[in-house]
Amino acid sequence: MARAVSYKAGYIASLGKDNIPSELKGNEGLVYSSPATLAYNSPGAEGFGVKRAGLAVPESVMLIVAPGCCGRNTRYVTKNPEYNVRFFYLMMDETDLVTSRHLKKIPEAVKEIVEFCKVRPKAVMICITCVDALLGTDMKRVCSKCEELLEGVRVAPCYMYALTREGRRPPMVDVRQQIYSLLTPSIRKGNAINLLGFFAPVDPDCEMFELLKSVGFDDIRQIGTCKTYDEFLKMSQANLNLVLNNEANPAAEDMYNNLKIPYAGLTRVYGIDQVAKQYKALGQILGVEIEDSVFYEETEDKIRAFMVKFKGRKVNIGECINANPFELALTLTRYGMKVGEIYATLSPEHFVYVKKLAELSPDTMLLCNLDPSMINYSASEYAPDLTLGKDAAYYCPDVPNIPWNSDVQPYGYKGIVKLINAIEEALS
Amino acid sequence: MKGLRKVLTPFAPDQSGAVGVLYDSAALIVIIDAGGCTGNICGFDEPRWQDTAAGIFSAGLRDMDAILGRDELLVKKIVKAHEAGEYKFSALVGTPVPAVIATDYNALTYMIERKTGKPCVAVPSNGMRLYDKGASDAYVRLVEKFAKDERPFDENTVGIFGALPLDMGRSSRDKVFEYYKNQGYGNVRMYGCGASLEDVMDASSNSLNVAVSSSGIDVVKKLCGKFGTEYKIEDPAVFDLVIPEGRTLVVHDEVAGYSIRNNTESDVTVATFFTLHDELKQEGDLILTEEDEFTKLVMNGGFDNLVCDATYLPLIPDYKGRVMILPHYAVSSAGDDS
Repeated sequence: MARAVSYKAGYIASLGKDNIPSELKGNEGLVYSSPATLAYNSPGAEGFGVKRAGLAVPESVMLIVAPGCCGRNTRYVTKNPEYNVRFFYLMMDETDLVTSRHLKKIPEAVKEIVEFCKVRPKAVMICITCVDALLGTDMKRVCSKCEELLEGVRVAPCYMYALTREGRRPPMVDVRQQIYSLLTPSIRKGNAINLLGFFAPVDPDCEMFELLKSVGFDDIRQIGTCKTYDEFLKMSQANLNLVLNNEANPAAEDMYNNLKIPYAGLTRVYGIDQVAKQYKALGQILGVEIEDSVFYEETEDKIRAFMVKFKGRKVNIGECINANPFELALTLTRYGMKVGEIYATLSPEHFVYVKKLAELSPDTMLLCNLDPSMINYSASEYAPDLTLGKDAAYYCPDVPNIPWNSDVQPYGYKGIVKLINAIEEALS
Repeated sequence: MKGLRKVLTPFAPDQSGAVGVLYDSAALIVIIDAGGCTGNICGFDEPRWQDTAAGIFSAGLRDMDAILGRDELLVKKIVKAHEAGEYKFSALVGTPVPAVIATDYNALTYMIERKTGKPCVAVPSNGMRLYDKGASDAYVRLVEKFAKDERPFDENTVGIFGALPLDMGRSSRDKVFEYYKNQGYGNVRMYGCGASLEDVMDASSNSLNVAVSSSGIDVVKKLCGKFGTEYKIEDPAVFDLVIPEGRTLVVHDEVAGYSIRNNTESDVTVATFFTLHDELKQEGDLILTEEDEFTKLVMNGGFDNLVCDATYLPLIPDYKGRVMILPHYAVSSAGDDS
């Protein structure tokens, strides 16, 4: 009987990052569709895809210019009251594909929806899809035409080009660039800082806010907390952009070029020493010492107690999660848990974690959600006590699961503490 | 403006209808897209997908695949996927991407059949038509490919076409099944929803075929032409709907509307955003395409009763007549546990 293809971490580490088997890469074969892959195949289904991301701009609406199929899943998003009057559709037909006549209709359509809205939007995001990627549509030019018709309304494109998912500017990178391109230069404030990378807010309990305030940044902005468009525009006053997700790096680079705002990057990790190192590095960039010892010690105590109580408990980890699944697997192994299986797409940049994981837990199995052989996956051979990640729940339905994929983003020491709390609760 | 939707979200597209028909057929279903269409079809238009694994795959196209037309690479992927599972045939389902690059489905089908040694069926859907068209095409392609042998009619067997989850909820499908059981058919083949590939191959033995929704009409006519099988067009799931007196507007699938009309004394007008076949159309019946057409029809038509999916109601907040909700999953993505 056919089986799901899996590899031991120790074996993969021995192959090296340039020889990752195709079954783990997810981009060399057909892409299997199961509920575990929904977030990949339909990014807006879980968390933020291009559509929700575009509407992160406060007081904006979105016009989706596409074949009907591209707008279909918006039916679910619009069940959320926050979105139910913010999506509009200009449906393309076969003639549009041949003649591109739909482009001429867009300015009038934008005008009509702006007039239709009970509250006049400040921005209209125009979402276009794979067909316009292939047609080579110059949507920037169309947006300019729209702005000529509408005083005081900004119009920007959002490219939902699934075809370019693994290209130089994937859709989720590009949409961040488009959003922040709406900012215009303003007088910068020394105490202002932006957190870039997420569309929903960083967990307000995260120590980062306190630490940033302690070194003089008491005006902290992130798009997920901006209530109004004017508040969003004040992000151009920042003296520093702190990039918390690599997908925002090109947007930060654009803001550096256009608004002269420098940027620095932090990475979300669950290893306590790695969190400490990042704060230290940030302090060095700022020329100050960030005093995080209280948070470090509190977290360290938590980890110690966790290791005593839950050492040897077994966990399987998915990739639909607010974490890098390989870093999380390594960290939980270091915290005493046994990681049986990781369901995630492996790329060379993850290899640093896989190598270290292989030293501590060479028998941890790696599988890829997207591989066609996953249709044969029946049950985990590792009888986990717990699964982490929404997709992992699909594979082990009878085991307690922590989705850990909320819109609000866990981060830093508090992220570690809250994850441990969640695991303790699930295992108790 | 024509084509502009301000209230309604787009309805289920043809590619979803095609997958709905193929879902239970043990096929390796390849949606020729970059991934997003597959997510939409499975995650939002195919309620069975949450409970039952099926061999549905995205071709995982990338821009250079589309630009360069790398059909051979796609064939290789399909061959490899066949090696990883047990499938009786391959089924290709089109999306806007192959529509733009003018994919040659005949050539692709031929290449896949040669390399896999198994049959291949292609449904050239394009994401711009609606689900009933995709489902109808998929039914026709399946019977063209597999229902070849002419077998004697089995008076005990009836074939039901058009009872997909997109057409009707589970309780309606159960009603349809029970209705024909009660009519004396021991073997009720629900094509696209429980019937197997072997049932398709044996379709010529059906003594009666029934189109219970628009998506089944073309295929029952096709089977009639090919094997002489008698057919009916009716939706028993709405037979027991009690329509009050007065003028009634049904905005739904054409067969549901037609069946309501035939089972009531009320004066019924049928309007649909989907297909309306000439043989069912009566004076006053019409196809809708725009939101404001629906609003004008309901508000100015003088109807006492309106039968439709609840999704349409925000378009007519001032309608004072009686409203009877008849769910249509292809419109609302919600029904009775589809």
